[in-house]
Amino acid sequence: MMRPLSLAPHLNNTGLTGEDELDGGGFNIWGNTFPAGELPPAGGTAVVGEVPFLFPVAGADNVRCRGQRVDVPAGDWDWVHVLGAAERRTEDLVEVHYADGSVRGQWLRMSDFWPQTEPRFGEVLAFRCRHMHYPRHVQRTTSPAIWAQRVPLTVPSGVVALVLPDNPALHVFALTLQAVG
Amino acid sequence: MKASLPGIAHWRHDLGHCLHATAGVLLGFHGADPLDLLGAAWGFDYTAGDMRREEYYFPCGQRSLFASLAPFHDVTSTWHAPSSPEQGWDEVRARVLAGTPVAVAADNYFLPFRPAYQDVHTNHLLVVHGFDEERGTVSVCDPVPPRFLGEIRIEELTAARDSANPVRHSRDMFFTANPIGNRWLDVTVSGHTGPASRERLREIMTANLEGLRGVDDGSSDHRGLPGQERFLREAAARLSGGDASVVDEVFVVAGVALAVTGLHGDYLAAAGRRLGERPLLTLAREVDRIAHHWSAVRIMVATGRDDPATAGRALAGRMTALLADQLATVDRMAAVAAAL
Repeated sequence: MMRPLSLAPHLNNTGLTGEDELDGGGFNIWGNTFPAGELPPAGGTAVVGEVPFLFPVAGADNVRCRGQRVDVPAGDWDWVHVLGAAERRTEDLVEVHYADGSVRGQWLRMSDFWPQTEPRFGEVLAFRCRHMHYPRHVQRTTSPAIWAQRVPLTVPSGVVALVLPDNPALHVFALTLQAVG
Repeated sequence: MKASLPGIAHWRHDLGHCLHATAGVLLGFHGADPLDLLGAAWGFDYTAGDMRREEYYFPCGQRSLFASLAPFHDVTSTWHAPSSPEQGWDEVRARVLAGTPVAVAADNYFLPFRPAYQDVHTNHLLVVHGFDEERGTVSVCDPVPPRFLGEIRIEELTAARDSANPVRHSRDMFFTANPIGNRWLDVTVSGHTGPASRERLREIMTANLEGLRGVDDGSSDHRGLPGQERFLREAAARLSGGDASVVDEVFVVAGVALAVTGLHGDYLAAAGRRLGERPLLTLAREVDRIAHHWSAVRIMVATGRDDPATAGRALAGRMTALLADQLATVDRMAAVAAAL
């Protein structure tokens, strides 16, 4: 069983824009964005491999990681699937918080969104856009990527929250829990 | 008149920038493996205030740029600063005609294959390896995405090289307000003998360790891990106090540290595979993890302009984690080097 999570309370970065609003976001520090028209509809479900991700709604559409705490519903969860990309590849610990107060760290590794850059951590290529948006033009020779990564939950029961790293190079568009079994 | 030099091919490391990409193209032309030369050194050596607003900034001290990039090899470079765009082209043309590609500084705003064309000013570096005066073209190689290997108009390159590189809008960041000045770089490579032997690798690692463990004398020179810690601690303190003026310097210096660390990780991994030494592969992965800290530092600082206090607190925490991991990696490196 897969359970997409809502990241709505945590969305703090706009990484997708339309061609009529090129300067309406800034995935990276240079103001580049992914072309929304080449990605699944805002608010819809995008399936990557066999994992359904709740694709972000328009507006702030991803989490630039700064230690946000994401609540986890009750269940026995085996994996956290992550749709994301980084500004230069990076890795950090996600804190997995349990009902008994214990905390376990699990690595979240994410490759660069930048065109012509291979995945470093064995991620699945979720989306390769044909264009990249700059605040004042559409660059038709650059193809940014969004990756599908996963994080194991070695103790599946009693997870109450995930605390994302304080690493603003790391962006998360969507999280989906996969149940044991 | 025309010239077209063979042996020009793209090379790029994903954590490097235009300096390492350009260096890789030129080293490859000279028959060297770029990773062998660019990845051997690992350290931190920065003098406060030395940062220049150029994408290809690298702290050099008294050495040439390429000698600083590849301090364990016989490589040197010389910057030339022509007095006019005409002289700038004449010098580059003569060098290429003599059979040697060169690096030129250029403002992306004037380069039609760069995404920043007619948009963002910046101080970039790329390779010139041919020209055709009858057609009015120059052959350039730029491995930075979207990589380009082809011809542009000579006057386009001249405009890029002669640019005042002005600040025009908010995205003219970090590498602007520094006129390009038609500068070009002549590189000499001699005596490259291929990948390091086991003994040579031990010497290289030992020298790196010596540098990393250097003593901090409290001066403006930030050397080794003690200097790196002080550099980051001072930056975090300034940011925490609301001083965003440190952003540019830390972003650029962190970019250098990121590139150097990432290259060294891959250098050790290549050596581990070549020599059949699994401990080198494990060590390489640890070095890679240090690089990934620098990815965080770089963006943490760059996004801190509007809220420096928050960035300062985050940087302080990151610095502690980075240093702890790096100290452990240095200890492992010493053990691995000793066992080689």
